[in-house]
Amino acid sequence: MAETAGVVLAGGRSSRMGTSKAALEWHGSTLLRRVTGILARGLEGPVLVVRAPGQPLPPLPASVEVLDDPAEGNGPLQGIAVALAALADRAGTAFVCSADLPLLHPAFVRRVVRASDAADVVLPVVGGHRQPLAACYRTCLAGAAGRLVAAGRLRPAYLFEGARVVQLEEGELLGDPALRLADPHLDSVAGVNTPADYRAARNRPAPQVTVRRFGALAGGGETGDRTVRAATLGAAVAAVGVTLDRYVIAAVNGDQTSRDHELPLVGGDVVTVLSADAGG
Amino acid sequence: MADSPPGGYFGRALVIDVRDASSRVMPLPEVVLRNHLGGVGLGTWLLHELGPVGADPLAPESPLAFVFSPLVGTPLTTSAKFAVVAKSPLTRMLTDALASSHFAISGKLTGHDALVLVGRAEQPSVLSVHGSTVALHDAHTEWGRSAADAESAVRARLGGGWQVASIGPAGERGVRYATISHDGRHAGRGGLGAVMGSKNLKALAVHASTKVAPADPTAVLAAARDLRARSLGRATEKVRELGTMANVLAYNALSTLPTRNFQQATFEAVSPLAPGELAAARTVVRSSCASCSIGCAHAYRRKGGSGKGVRLEYQNVSALGPMCGVSDPDAVLAASARCDELGIDTISAGGTVAWAMECAERKLLDAPWLRFGDGSALLRALDEIGAGTGIGPLLALGSRAAATVVGAGSLAFAAQVKGLELPGYEPRTMQAMALGMAVNARGADHNRSGAYEADLSGELDRLRGGEAHVRAAVESEDRAAVMDSMILCSFLRGIFDEPFVEWAALLAAVTGWDIDATELRATAQRIVLAKRAYNLREGWQPADDWLPERFLSQDLTMASGRTASLTPQRLRSMIDGYYAVRGLDPDGRPATGAMPDSHASPR
Repeated sequence: MAETAGVVLAGGRSSRMGTSKAALEWHGSTLLRRVTGILARGLEGPVLVVRAPGQPLPPLPASVEVLDDPAEGNGPLQGIAVALAALADRAGTAFVCSADLPLLHPAFVRRVVRASDAADVVLPVVGGHRQPLAACYRTCLAGAAGRLVAAGRLRPAYLFEGARVVQLEEGELLGDPALRLADPHLDSVAGVNTPADYRAARNRPAPQVTVRRFGALAGGGETGDRTVRAATLGAAVAAVGVTLDRYVIAAVNGDQTSRDHELPLVGGDVVTVLSADAGG
Repeated sequence: MADSPPGGYFGRALVIDVRDASSRVMPLPEVVLRNHLGGVGLGTWLLHELGPVGADPLAPESPLAFVFSPLVGTPLTTSAKFAVVAKSPLTRMLTDALASSHFAISGKLTGHDALVLVGRAEQPSVLSVHGSTVALHDAHTEWGRSAADAESAVRARLGGGWQVASIGPAGERGVRYATISHDGRHAGRGGLGAVMGSKNLKALAVHASTKVAPADPTAVLAAARDLRARSLGRATEKVRELGTMANVLAYNALSTLPTRNFQQATFEAVSPLAPGELAAARTVVRSSCASCSIGCAHAYRRKGGSGKGVRLEYQNVSALGPMCGVSDPDAVLAASARCDELGIDTISAGGTVAWAMECAERKLLDAPWLRFGDGSALLRALDEIGAGTGIGPLLALGSRAAATVVGAGSLAFAAQVKGLELPGYEPRTMQAMALGMAVNARGADHNRSGAYEADLSGELDRLRGGEAHVRAAVESEDRAAVMDSMILCSFLRGIFDEPFVEWAALLAAVTGWDIDATELRATAQRIVLAKRAYNLREGWQPADDWLPERFLSQDLTMASGRTASLTPQRLRSMIDGYYAVRGLDPDGRPATGAMPDSHASPR
């Protein structure tokens, strides 16, 4: 129950973009796939997606749970209410964000969550703007959120009125050395709202990562470090001529091993490629 | 039945009283062979039958079984292997170790599926078996010599055609993790060398005297060609190119490399121990066991140096390097060579010395010279273990028994299960393996439980053990039970798409049985439970299926920044799940009727 879950709100009209933002491509993956993967990397708990009723979604890992908003057009607070209710007996808190954050970094997620011990809501403030869709909520707020939706009070700010809210200003966020190193401009909260935003986001290069090969994959026993630009695990290993298959597996920053080609990468990641035949 | 045994079998064991070299033939009914196959399975059955309940492992009446398998003698790749099975002086439970090469073939072709030694010779001896002819030879000239030297001397003395398994000085002195060696391969874990030494036996020599035919030679030949071709594919590329040493850097990157007695899981000074670094200043010689197409063995020798070099595996480098904080490759090579000369298990030796280093650091042991990272101190400790001097007699007991002597809470950081020291896998960051090591009959073990494969498969969360980890641990044990009984080298495992189906087909071709995957899975369960039942009759208690306190009370910070934590509650939950899947009662005991075999329950 002490765990923090991840929630991505994928619904919404995307009226300024003109199309669903969840399925937009970014360096070989979709925005929704990327953001769910970033949350999985940054958090210990389950990852949920809340969509509009029947909304088509791009492919997601089996571990990601998908919930439907009960009605369209009620805005993000309804999605927050649905997610917090679903998580009430599984997680103490949830990091909630939108799907349109291609530069969201696990270090940002962790920094926000770390401030949740004495708060019902941890609310980052970046560029003078509060970021309710890159914030952490206590799951016990589910009831309050639901009552506000029922009363037609649909702005997230209403939820803050009766809650213990901790605001994290830029200085406090960047006081975390890991976040300061990984995302010094706090691009984590740079949303993609318009076609122009999207074009600008696509023009940004993929993150710079290091691929480290071991064993027979490196040749001669030397580690074969290569710096490449890649936003996904599959792109990173392909850049060094390796394919993830039955015999080859990879780990990001020495954490879980994976063959998930769409596992999102962020700048500074170290991808370790190794023989899948463990042991000896 | 023994008159017409199944293909690949002789249908009999030879039970030899070492006291006077007398022997008797023990028929092995077909039902026993089919239920237990060979290797560790048949060895477990033999121990149930021939081992007196509660006997001291080093008592004359305790049996030492060399067990072959139906595949030995066929052209199937990696089949030239044998199991040595006995009650362990280290764990006082069952131990079974595999070794390989020509001893397996010659031993089986004495005309027996197993050679079981009981009794004690009156003086240091070599036992020879040539067909049904058994003889004792004086071994005073070999006594005190390394296993390799003794093997050479015995072969020179007995003449051509003999294959020899022998012990080093540690086995003679009863070091509880002494090994039995043949041709540079070791039946390494659990102190089998001490059991052999307790019988005043320096060596067992075997000479082939007959042949054995498979039921369907044509099918076996076709299978052999197929297996050989597949054994040269990508599944074995790692062990062919670099050997298991390839794991050193990878495991360090994954925070699974035990360091300084499991106080860390990454070793900051690992680079000099990487195979590439080692090879830069050394000649690497690759070799194979008999009947093996893989060739995983890699020996390292200083360029310009002489001799065969030192065979390095991940496990001995892990145990004698990072585990002891030693990064000097020459020290690790020397320590590995010293273990081979003395005839001791490198994993238990490294684990016990690392425990002692931490004791010295905490001033629980009066050995201020014994410091993490000091290669010369490591070598001195090994020498004292071999010679029985200084702290050697204490460390010769293994870490659990030594911790009982030292006390002061040192058992909490003795990295062992059931008395057997952990191999080079960090249980907090490999939680399927944590379960595998906790419940395995042999103790903390990576051969009878290869659950680490699941941890690194990408298919489960290796930091959060649960139901998937239970399933993985059971599956891994079952696969090992079959591979170690039929016997095939575990390095072949990656080439099989449907292992139980393919193994059943191999057994069918060799034996003539209409065996299928379903039967083979039941056989695996039977073998696993038979080992557990043996342990139970020898005093196993539920608390023996557990991990040391260190792993359950100290978190690890990984390179990724995540914290790896294994709580007692999580381990308990996984063990309970394992017992349920295995059909055991809540205390881990085989339930009455759990399997159709008289060895399911303690007698």
